[in-house]
Amino acid sequence: MAISVPIIIVFIIISIFISFAIGANDETFATIHGSRTLTMKELLILGSILAIAGAFILGRGVSETVGKDLLTFEVSYSIVLTILISTSIWLIVSSALGAPISTTHSTIGSIMGVGILIDGLGGVNWITILEMSFWWLLSPVIGFVATYIVYKLIHKTIISKLDGFKDFERTEKIFSYILLGVICLTAFSRAGNDVSNAAGIVVGLGINVDLVLIIAGVSFSIGIVVLGRRVIKSVGNITELVPSSAFASQVPTAVILFVGTFLGIPLSGSHMLVVSLIGLAKARRAPQKGGIWRIVIIWILTFPMAAILAILLYFPINLII
Amino acid sequence: MKNKDEKSIDEIFAEYSKEFLKGAKLLNKLMKDFINEKLDKSELDGVIESEHECDRIKETYIKVLFQDKRALPFLVEDRYKIIALVDEALGKMEFISRFMKIYPFDLYEDISEDFEIMCDTCYILINHLTETLELMETDFDGAFEKTLEIERIRRDARDLRYSLLGTIYKKTEEPTRVLLTSKLVNNVYDIIAWIEDIADYLRGLIIKYPTR
Repeated sequence: MAISVPIIIVFIIISIFISFAIGANDETFATIHGSRTLTMKELLILGSILAIAGAFILGRGVSETVGKDLLTFEVSYSIVLTILISTSIWLIVSSALGAPISTTHSTIGSIMGVGILIDGLGGVNWITILEMSFWWLLSPVIGFVATYIVYKLIHKTIISKLDGFKDFERTEKIFSYILLGVICLTAFSRAGNDVSNAAGIVVGLGINVDLVLIIAGVSFSIGIVVLGRRVIKSVGNITELVPSSAFASQVPTAVILFVGTFLGIPLSGSHMLVVSLIGLAKARRAPQKGGIWRIVIIWILTFPMAAILAILLYFPINLII
Repeated sequence: MKNKDEKSIDEIFAEYSKEFLKGAKLLNKLMKDFINEKLDKSELDGVIESEHECDRIKETYIKVLFQDKRALPFLVEDRYKIIALVDEALGKMEFISRFMKIYPFDLYEDISEDFEIMCDTCYILINHLTETLELMETDFDGAFEKTLEIERIRRDARDLRYSLLGTIYKKTEEPTRVLLTSKLVNNVYDIIAWIEDIADYLRGLIIKYPTR
């Protein structure tokens, strides 16, 4: 089937928009910023390079069919686009407000909106959503507990034994290198995974895949630079961080997330990281800085807002596609 | 980019401490000369020069210190605060030197012995302070002990100060001499008290660090 150039352009624009939105809500570098391991300018440059490289090298995987397990009817192309665009809009709004949200939650909110709009309450597979919601509630708890334990362990075995400024300097430098390595790896793989979802909508339209991935990767990195900095700043400032404490919150989150993904458990990385920083503040008996309640309110609003956006967008998109 | 000829922060601080001690030693010697009525006031310029040299070294130190605030910005800020506090002690030394240049009397004979002890205490505390600052880099426990030692010595110096002032205030002749001599005692004690303030600050840092 020959697809007209205007349609291809529209799809590319949508793909760019989705990549931008995902990049804008990427909080991967938050602890690097919070622990002052890199300056904002340095981490934005590094984040952009890793985003483009990750998208180009790892982004070739076929994107998942969004919503196929959660809707009780057949998913059309206009439904997929509605879900992706409404999710992206909510990601951009949250990013502008400096709140890292779960892309999965936003997507599911949109799916519920479309499902209810098309087939009423019966259009959504509530059992699957209930099963998932168990993990949504558990993600922050796991993040909190894991960070609390890891921080206490690091503190007891390493930090409390440090003697003198020099020792602190040396140890924190080592932690900062490890942290930077882990975060670069996370940013690289995250860009690959997320961009493959955004690029997936244009792959198959006969456009060069490499070109699509580069465009999506660049959009993702622009998202990080333009709005991502707000999210990075707000998460990185939840509590005072040094490389060792940033390590204590970032690494367990990354490991648990990796294991969760491997076992097919839908954990939210953003929720885990934010709550793990609260766990860190508790473990260190350090004060929490402001902004947490704003993030929590946006988390709560994610499902209804994404659903409303999907409902509003479905008809115009269905009309075009 | 770091120049290969550029000194490390430790080397610069060592240079600063050396100059600080040089100034303190000279001031102590000149105070003894003053007590023994052998003071050559032009020599006091040496203390002022030391203070100026320390200022110059401090500028280099701050420049190198703030070159890289990566990873441990609070350590950079703490080190900056320390050198600023020490610099204030040097300022107080310079103030005494300038004061001595215009002080127009000889010291009362009945306070000379105690005043000499006070001047020696001041010099000893400056030595303790520089040792504590060195220990802060590598040995918190050792530095902590030193700060307690500084506090103990300062307490003794406070008793001595009031004893000296008590003797001075009993004098009924030459009110200007009474006033200026009491100021002289207070100026020396001011350095002692300031060094104890620095020691207090360092003790706070030592307690704070492992929890950061």
